[in-house]
Amino acid sequence: MAARARATFTTIGLGAAALALSSCGGIGGISPIFPTPVSPNGQDIYNLYLLISIPAIIIFVGVEGALLWVVLRYRRSRQPAGYVPPQIHGNTTLEIVWTLVPLAIVLAIVVVSFITLQKDFQPVANAQMNVTVSGHQFGWIYTYDNGVVVDQEGTLAGDVTPFVVPVNTLIKLRFQGTDVIHSWWVPAISGKTDAVPGYDNFSWMKINQVGEWRGECAELCGAGHSTMQIIVQAMDQTDYDQWMQTQLAKQHAPSPQPSPSPSPSASPTPS
Amino acid sequence: MAVTTAPLPAPPIPPMPPPLPRPKAYDDTFFKPISIWLTTTDHKLIGIMYMVTGMLSFVVGGIFALVIRLQLAQPNGKIVDAETYNQLISAHGVTMIFFFVTIFLTGIANYMVPIMIGARDMAFPRVNLLGFWLVPVSIILYYSGFFTGGALDAGWTGYAPLTEKAYQSHSLGVDFWALSLIVWAISGIMASTNFLTTIVALRAPGMKLTRLPLFVWAQISTSILLLVVGAPLAAAMILLEFDRQFGTQFFTTQGRPVLYQHLFWFFGHPEVYIMILPGFGMISEIIPVFARKPIFGYMSMVMALFGIVFLSMTVWAHHMFTVGMNTYVEGFFMLMTMLIAVPTGIKFFNWIATAWWGSIEFTVPMKFVFGFMATFLIGGLTGIYLASVPVDTQLHQSYYVVAHLHYVLFGGSVFTIFAGIYYWFPKITGRKLNRTLGEWHFWTTFIGFNGTFLIMHTLGLEGMPRRIAIYTNVAWATTNLIITVSSFLIAFSVLLFLINIARSWHGGEIAGNDPWGANTLEWATTSPPPPYNFERVPPVRSFMPLRDLRDSGEFVDPEPIPQPA
Repeated sequence: MAARARATFTTIGLGAAALALSSCGGIGGISPIFPTPVSPNGQDIYNLYLLISIPAIIIFVGVEGALLWVVLRYRRSRQPAGYVPPQIHGNTTLEIVWTLVPLAIVLAIVVVSFITLQKDFQPVANAQMNVTVSGHQFGWIYTYDNGVVVDQEGTLAGDVTPFVVPVNTLIKLRFQGTDVIHSWWVPAISGKTDAVPGYDNFSWMKINQVGEWRGECAELCGAGHSTMQIIVQAMDQTDYDQWMQTQLAKQHAPSPQPSPSPSPSASPTPS
Repeated sequence: MAVTTAPLPAPPIPPMPPPLPRPKAYDDTFFKPISIWLTTTDHKLIGIMYMVTGMLSFVVGGIFALVIRLQLAQPNGKIVDAETYNQLISAHGVTMIFFFVTIFLTGIANYMVPIMIGARDMAFPRVNLLGFWLVPVSIILYYSGFFTGGALDAGWTGYAPLTEKAYQSHSLGVDFWALSLIVWAISGIMASTNFLTTIVALRAPGMKLTRLPLFVWAQISTSILLLVVGAPLAAAMILLEFDRQFGTQFFTTQGRPVLYQHLFWFFGHPEVYIMILPGFGMISEIIPVFARKPIFGYMSMVMALFGIVFLSMTVWAHHMFTVGMNTYVEGFFMLMTMLIAVPTGIKFFNWIATAWWGSIEFTVPMKFVFGFMATFLIGGLTGIYLASVPVDTQLHQSYYVVAHLHYVLFGGSVFTIFAGIYYWFPKITGRKLNRTLGEWHFWTTFIGFNGTFLIMHTLGLEGMPRRIAIYTNVAWATTNLIITVSSFLIAFSVLLFLINIARSWHGGEIAGNDPWGANTLEWATTSPPPPYNFERVPPVRSFMPLRDLRDSGEFVDPEPIPQPA
């Protein structure tokens, strides 16, 4: 009787846990996947995530199902009185199978991941525009090809100066750290890249729509870490050119200097 | 013949040897004068001290976690300021990893390994004593930082150059942390050497290596790991101290900050396995006992352990996929990381196969075992995502990683620790833990744990970085509130557990020597075992020596435990 009550209790508990697991996609504000990517490298990561999810979900359901089956079927109260379990010490065939099958699965994931890695994580050579992103305590400084600087000083409110870029332009990002390590992360664009003092890191983006995307520093960098907010604003080319003219004018007003071409440069930089 | 010989005088009866001291009753095991606790070299008493130290750290680290969760319960939290917050997250990590899980597991192994292999004590009892007493030294050193203007506030990993003098000149917290970890590493190396020597040299007759309990095999693997990686940790800390105090430039902005990460993670990743392999060993002990079946695939379990030991030392840079390494190097670390899934999978499948067709008694330890398997699986699967370099650049340093590591370390290590406590408490104290409270403890832990950490994955996917003191995004508010409420359910479950320990320690049901019908030698002696462990070491004929003796009817229960007054 007590055993039966416990069995019911266990069943209810595990059922509730399973329900909680399966429903996590449905509640508002709780996303089981990244924000919709707006840059091809982010899209590749998104696709890879979905691809890995296929074997992951199958294994999850299979193993949790097996555990649940064991819990419900092989409990002593469900076995006939005097049941003596078979004394099995192993089964070589089975053990080889569950060594080789997972091996094949993870190797497949490694190959697919490595292809994406080679495709998206090399410094790009055909960039239409270059921006140097420099992290410091606590903010980001963006330096464009033509010397224009956007100073994104950190604030908690999140209304930092946006980093403005044109849409559909392949932009090479060069990351530098000036004091401690920071990490530049805008989830809708792509993964993070560390800004490490001492050497340059590279990433790229090619945003496919007009809009504004938020992110923040992802590497603990001191007391102001959570103020290092990021806003990336993508404009279409005409708006961007106009914005750039304003910036150039602003920059030239206090200290005039020879102006490079205002349009995005197509020359690749040596890496 | 009439020759009569005088009858030989009866041989003198040898004087009765003084009776062996009776196995100690529960009361005189624990309530000893403090001088005995301070000077004992008995591996069991040292093991208890390790475990008590670990449990105290668990409570302290848990309180840090609750303050962290209160701060994050809503956007723009104002419970603590960012400086204090950064100290809290660092203290939570350091306390849980270095002073709770590792220390507790060392304690349980210190108690059980010599008995399981039929030894009288550890090979070097006085090294054991010193090794243990270095732990409180290490703990005191770390917490001293709080009294010098602030403890470590760069996360438990303490990445340079944030920990360098240029950015941390206001306090000695980093120095105390670095010294604390050096002492901790020395203590760990001592314990590891001692375990390996004990297991190699002091096994009972018949206890061949192929008959070692899997918990002992797990302890061999753990000890090898700690022996290899303890020194690089100490090296990283010594170099950091040179930077801070003697003006060298190893990891400073002018030096090589990434070198610190290599050294730290060469220790840090195997440390994860140092914290989980003993747990794997406990699972391998507990399932066969309650399923009434031998472990499935003993040899493949041992080989899987060593596969994990080898692979775990070749994966450290998967914590560094965003620092900008060569993509082929990243590919190598991705491959090795993924490969760890294979031996871990073997262990999982073997456990399930052991329980399959069994006659399973769902006692509290067994519930924690199944809770462990259900949750650790999720930690393992999210590990596959994190191992894939492109996906990791998104998930790294986000709440997804926080969720993953807690599924591995709480769903993994802590669940196995609880399973081990409920399983071995009767051996250590002679009394069982209360079952009803235990069931409550399990279900509140299980629900509280999943409530806390399951939805944390989604926060990371939506872009919430870890270690931020304040978030402003209101979309994350509800999720964070649910997490905070659930974390207090965990705290409640720990409270139930502590109440259970306190109550059962005094008034629990008398367990007897072998309450579970177990397989291994620690149950062949009294509960608690006498100082010399066994009056007569039982013969060992397989990896289930006690069961062999029971089945052949040879086993004589050691003298009954004294009833409490």
